[in-house]
Amino acid sequence: MKYARVYFDDVTVGDELPPLVKGPIKQIQLTRYAGASGDFNPIHQDDEFANAAGMGGVFAHGMLSMGFVAQAVTDWSGAGTVRKISVRFAALVRLKDVVTCKGRVLGKSSRNGEGACELEIWAENQRGEHVVIGKATVVLPPRT
Amino acid sequence: MAIPVNKAIVGKEYPPYTVTVERGRIKDFARAIGDLNPFYLDDEVGRCSAWGDIIAPPTFATTFRDESRSAAMLADLGVDISRVLHGEQEFEFHGQLQPGQTYLCRTKVLDIYEKAGRSGPMAFIVRETAVTDRDNEIVATMRHITVVRL
Repeated sequence: MKYARVYFDDVTVGDELPPLVKGPIKQIQLTRYAGASGDFNPIHQDDEFANAAGMGGVFAHGMLSMGFVAQAVTDWSGAGTVRKISVRFAALVRLKDVVTCKGRVLGKSSRNGEGACELEIWAENQRGEHVVIGKATVVLPPRT
Repeated sequence: MAIPVNKAIVGKEYPPYTVTVERGRIKDFARAIGDLNPFYLDDEVGRCSAWGDIIAPPTFATTFRDESRSAAMLADLGVDISRVLHGEQEFEFHGQLQPGQTYLCRTKVLDIYEKAGRSGPMAFIVRETAVTDRDNEIVATMRHITVVRL
């Protein structure tokens, strides 16, 4: 169930996050993200500019894809649980692409009364190519 | 022909700037991603939460940008924005970013290196931004790697 409480004790290494499917990506979402984020690089808005830059047309902000992956994490672990999240932008996300965000628990550690879970996270396009690859650390409450 | 980037800015710290987080900005940002988590969008849920108000999504600190400083860095590097890509990004949190709070952002260039990419030579610019609150406590650290197609 979305937004259900996850407790540290109930997490097992190897557990998979429910996949989060985003898209197909539309220009209006990139325009909206530009406004919300303040990143108005025309390479995400203006096909002519992006073509002239040798990019073969507009593509999505990397940070939008990172936002998708972060959502996949917090849909599972809860808002406010992310301690660290890092990604590499492995491939461009284009208009009409469908981005599926996934994750898996790599490890668990308990210290100072805090339960931390290490996750591997990634996003794939509709051809199964990785567009984002990264890691996250979430802190979960104990079941007391 | 490859364009050289100015590596002399490694170690340079740009002038600090402050950002005051607006409630509406958090909500617009969450909606732009399509993340409708009530802890980001619903004031009542925020009020009843452990944090006493709504909080920002994990990648929200990307809005803590200052166009004049970004432009200054590109000018320092000697590159045009059309050659710039986002390579990597990291956020580390020590607290939550919340509406009405004012934060101080300090960005430093940590490293610049060159590498052959799939589509030719590239330069990687590694920057770190420390985000501190009014009590000078660190709330978040961002690490960005910007890629320049040479």
